[in-house]
Amino acid sequence: MLKVENLTKVYPNGTVALRDVSFQVPDGEFLAVIGLSGSGKSTLLRCINRIIEPTSGRIILDGVDLTALPPSEMRKQRRQIGMVFQQFNLVKRSSVLTNVLAGRLGYLPSYMSLANHFPAADHETALKTLARLGLEDKAHVRADSLSGGQQQRVGIARALMQDPKLILADEPVASLDPVLSHSIMKHLEACNKEDGITILCSLHFLDLVHRYATSAIGLKGGQLVFQGLPQEIDDAQFKEIFGQEAERVTIL
Amino acid sequence: MNMLTAKPTKAPRNAGVAAALSLVVPGAGQFYLGMRQRAAAILGVVLGLGVLIQWVFADLGVGEVTWGSLTTSWLWALLALLWLWNVADAYGRARGRRSADAVGVLLALVIVYYIGWQVTDANLERLFSRFEDVKGVLNALVHPDLVARDELGAWRPSENFGDLVGKIVHKPASGLLVALGLVREGALVPALVPGKLLETIAIGLMATLFSAVLALPLSFAAAHNIMSRVPGGAVIYQVMRGVLNVVRAIDTLIWGILIVVWVGLGSFAGVLALTIHSIAALGKLYSEEIEHIDPGPVEALTATGAGLLQTIRYAVIPQIVPPFLAFTLLRWDINMRMATVVGVVAGGGIGFFVVETIRKGGYEQYAAALWLVALVIILVDYVSARWRERILVGEVLTDKRAPRPLARAARTALMAALLLAFFAASWSLSQIDLRKLFEPAPTFWQVVGDFVTIDVSPAVLQVVSRQMLITVFQALIATTLGALAAIPFSFLAARNLLGDSPVGKAAYYATRALLNFLRSIEALLYVAIFVFWVGIGPFAGMLSLAITSFALVGKLFSEAIENIDPGPLEAITAAGGTRLQSVMYAILPQIIPPFISYVIYQWDINVRVSTIVGFAGGGGVGLLLNNYFGMLQYHKAGTVVAMIVIVVTVMDFASAKIRERLV
Ligand SMILES: Nc1ncnc2c1ncn2[C@@H]1O[C@H](COP(=O)(O)OP(=O)(O)O)[C@@H](O)[C@H]1O
Ligand SMILES: [Mg+2]
Repeated sequence: MLKVENLTKVYPNGTVALRDVSFQVPDGEFLAVIGLSGSGKSTLLRCINRIIEPTSGRIILDGVDLTALPPSEMRKQRRQIGMVFQQFNLVKRSSVLTNVLAGRLGYLPSYMSLANHFPAADHETALKTLARLGLEDKAHVRADSLSGGQQQRVGIARALMQDPKLILADEPVASLDPVLSHSIMKHLEACNKEDGITILCSLHFLDLVHRYATSAIGLKGGQLVFQGLPQEIDDAQFKEIFGQEAERVTIL
Repeated sequence: MNMLTAKPTKAPRNAGVAAALSLVVPGAGQFYLGMRQRAAAILGVVLGLGVLIQWVFADLGVGEVTWGSLTTSWLWALLALLWLWNVADAYGRARGRRSADAVGVLLALVIVYYIGWQVTDANLERLFSRFEDVKGVLNALVHPDLVARDELGAWRPSENFGDLVGKIVHKPASGLLVALGLVREGALVPALVPGKLLETIAIGLMATLFSAVLALPLSFAAAHNIMSRVPGGAVIYQVMRGVLNVVRAIDTLIWGILIVVWVGLGSFAGVLALTIHSIAALGKLYSEEIEHIDPGPVEALTATGAGLLQTIRYAVIPQIVPPFLAFTLLRWDINMRMATVVGVVAGGGIGFFVVETIRKGGYEQYAAALWLVALVIILVDYVSARWRERILVGEVLTDKRAPRPLARAARTALMAALLLAFFAASWSLSQIDLRKLFEPAPTFWQVVGDFVTIDVSPAVLQVVSRQMLITVFQALIATTLGALAAIPFSFLAARNLLGDSPVGKAAYYATRALLNFLRSIEALLYVAIFVFWVGIGPFAGMLSLAITSFALVGKLFSEAIENIDPGPLEAITAAGGTRLQSVMYAILPQIIPPFISYVIYQWDINVRVSTIVGFAGGGGVGLLLNNYFGMLQYHKAGTVVAMIVIVVTVMDFASAKIRERLV
C-alpha cells in the first residue's frame, strides 16, 4: 500500500508544482495519473522515490515513511521502486545487457560492480527478462541501435531487474507511435497482472487510461482534481481535468 | 506607389532631419529613424576607422601626403566619402529607399585593406623581382636530400636522411644479449640511432598522453553541471575556465620560450610546451563534453538505488569516454603538427633541425625535412580521422560475456604490448626528465617575477601595440589572399561537382593532394622560404600564413560544397540550366554563409599563428617577443604576452559570436 499525504512541492524558483496532494494506492493497482502538460505528473512520480525532494508531506510505502529516511536508507528503499521514463534514459553507447544489469546496481556493493562485473545469477535473470520482453537477440548490441519501442522495453527490463513492488512510469508511451504504445502498455499490464507489481503511470490519452488502468487520479495545476475509476471519467470530467478547450483524442 | 513595395510606415520621419543628424554624428540619423543596430554599426565603423587612420599615420606614416605645408593622410578623404555615404543613407532610408550598402562596405574595406597592405610591408614587386634568385631554393625543394650515390654508384639513404629518420650503427652488444647467449662478448650488433623525425613523433605522442591525463581532473572542475553541486564550486568553475582560456590563448611556441628558461633547451622543453597548451585546449573540450551529457541515465540509475560511484561508472563514463577519446585523437593530430615547429624555440625535434639547416643554407636538407614532415602529418591526419570516426560512429559493441574470438583477444594483447613499447621508446626519445621540473635554472624565479610584473610604460605599450596591429593585419591579409586563392581550387576539390569522368577524377585527386600537402606543413616552416625570397619582415610571415590558409580554407570550402543539398542543383539541371547557371543559382546561395564563417574562423586561427611567425623572421609580435627574450628584458616580454592574450581572447570571442549568427 502506497500512501501519499499532503504532498507539496515548491521548486527553488517558486513554482508550486504540487499543492497538498493526498491519495492511496492499494497493492496490485494500476493507477493512471492524468493531467495536462505542466500539471505536476512528473513531479509527483519523482517525489515518490525522492529523486526530487518533496517540500512537505509524507510518502508511506508499506508502512515505511520514505520522506523521513536518511539518504543511505532511501537508496535501499529505491531498489523496490522501479522507474520507466518517457525518454527511456538508457545509456546509449552501452550494450542492452549492461543497461538491463544496471537495474541490479542497488543490490551490489560498489567495488564489485565498478569493473562491469555482475554476478552470474544476475546475468541469467537479465537474459530471461530480455527474453520475456522479446529482446533475447538484442542483448549485445548498442542501446541506441534499437528502435524507440525496443528501447522502452529495455527500460522496463531494467526496472524489472530491481524486483520491484512498485513501478513508476512517467509517460512511458509519449514518445512512441500508437501501435508501439499498446505494445508497451501491454508489457506494463503483464507486470501488473502476472507479477503483482503496483503501477503508477502518467498518461496523456484517455483511451489508454480506459483500457489499462484499474484506477485513476487527475492533476490540474498541481492539485488533485479527480480520484476514482477510469470508467467514471466522462467527457465532463475530462474537460475539468484538461481544461475547456481540450478535445478528446482517440487513438486506435 | 506599388502596393506590394509600400512599407507600413508608422510615424513619417523627416528625411532632411535624418540627413542633418547623420552629417553631425555618423549613424545619428539612422538612430533617429529607429534603426539602432545600423546606427551603432555605422558609428562604430567610422570611429574605429578614424582612430586607425590616425594611428597608422602618426606611428608608421601610412597614407602620408604633403600639401604645401600640410602633411596628412589621404585616407581621410576616403573616410569623408564614407561619412557622406552615411548622410545619403540616412536621407534615403527616411524616404523608404534602401540605399546601396555595398558602397559603404566597399569604402570601409578599401581603407582597412590599404592599411593592412601597408603595415604588413606587402610588396608584390619584390615577389617577382627576386624570383630569379629564389629559383635555386625552389629547385632544392623538389630535390630533397634523401638519397645519395655511394662510391660504387648505388643509391643509398643519404647522410641527411639518417639525421632525419635514423641510422643503423654497430655497437658493442649489451650485457643482456650476452647473458642470453645470443652473441659473444664484445661483438658488434646493429642499433638504431633515431633521427629528428622520430624525436618529433615522440614529442607529439608524449605531450598528448600527458595532457590527456592531466586535463581529465581539471575538466571536471571546469564543468558547470558538476561544480554547481559542490560547495564553493561556482568560484572554482570560474577560476578554472579563466585559467584555461588564458593558457590556451598563449601559443605553444610562446610557452616554449618560457619553458626553456625553466628546464633548458631540448626535447623535454618541447614536450612541456605542447603539454601545457594542450591541457588547456583539451580541458575546455572535455569540460564542454561533460556539460553536455544526457542527464537521463543519471536520473534512471539514481532511481534504481545505485550509489554515486556506480552512477558515475554506468551513466557518466560510458557517455564521455568516446568523445574524450575522439578529442584526444584530434589533439594528437594538432600536437604532431606543433611538434614539428616547437623546436624552433625550444630545441629538439625537426623544428630545431630546420633552423640549423637554414642557417647553413642547406635548402636541400630543409626540403627533405619538409617532405618527411608532410608524409608523417598526412598519415597522422588520416589515422586520427579514421579512428575518430570509428569511435564516434561506433561498431556494434560486444559485451565482456559475449563470446569473443581468441584472435581478437590476441590482437588486443598485441596492440597493448606495442603501445607500451611505443610509450617506453617515446619516453626515452623525448628525453623526459621529470627531475628537471623541480630543479629549475637558478634565474628561473627571477625571470618569472619579472615576467608577471609587466612593463606598462607608454613607450613600451606603443611599440607592442604597433607590432600587435601588424600581427592582426598580417592575419587578415593572409586570410583574404588564402581564401581568394582557395575559391577556384575548392570547386576542383569537390567530388560532387566534378563527376566521374577520368579528367574530373584526376582533377579532384590532384587538388586534394595539393591541399593536403600544403596543409601538413606549419606556417612557421614555410617562413624560411619567404624570408629568403622577400626578406625578413611581416610580408614573409604573411605569405607563409597565406599558404596554410589557402590549404585549410580550400579543404573546408570543398567540404562545404560537397555537403550542399543536391535538390536545387538537380532542379536547375532538369530545367536545362548550364553548369555555370547551376553554380550561380544552386550552389552559391548555399555555400556563401559557410564560406564566410570559415574565413572568419581562419582569421581567428591566423591571429594566433601570426603571433609566432616572427620567431623565424616573419615579423609581428613574435619577432618583438624573441628580441625581448634575447635581451633578457622579461618585463617587456610579459607585456607582449599579456597583449597577445587580450587580442586572441577578443578575436576568439568575436569570431565565435559572428559565426553563431551566420549559421
Ligand atoms: N526543476 C524545475 N524547476 C522549476 N520548475 C519546475 C521544474 N520542473 C518542473 N517545474 C514546473 O513545475 C510544474 C510541473 O511540472 P511537471 O511535474 O514536469 O509537469 P508534467 O509532468 O505534468 O508535465 C510546471 O509548471 C513546470 O514548469
Ligand atoms: Mg512530465
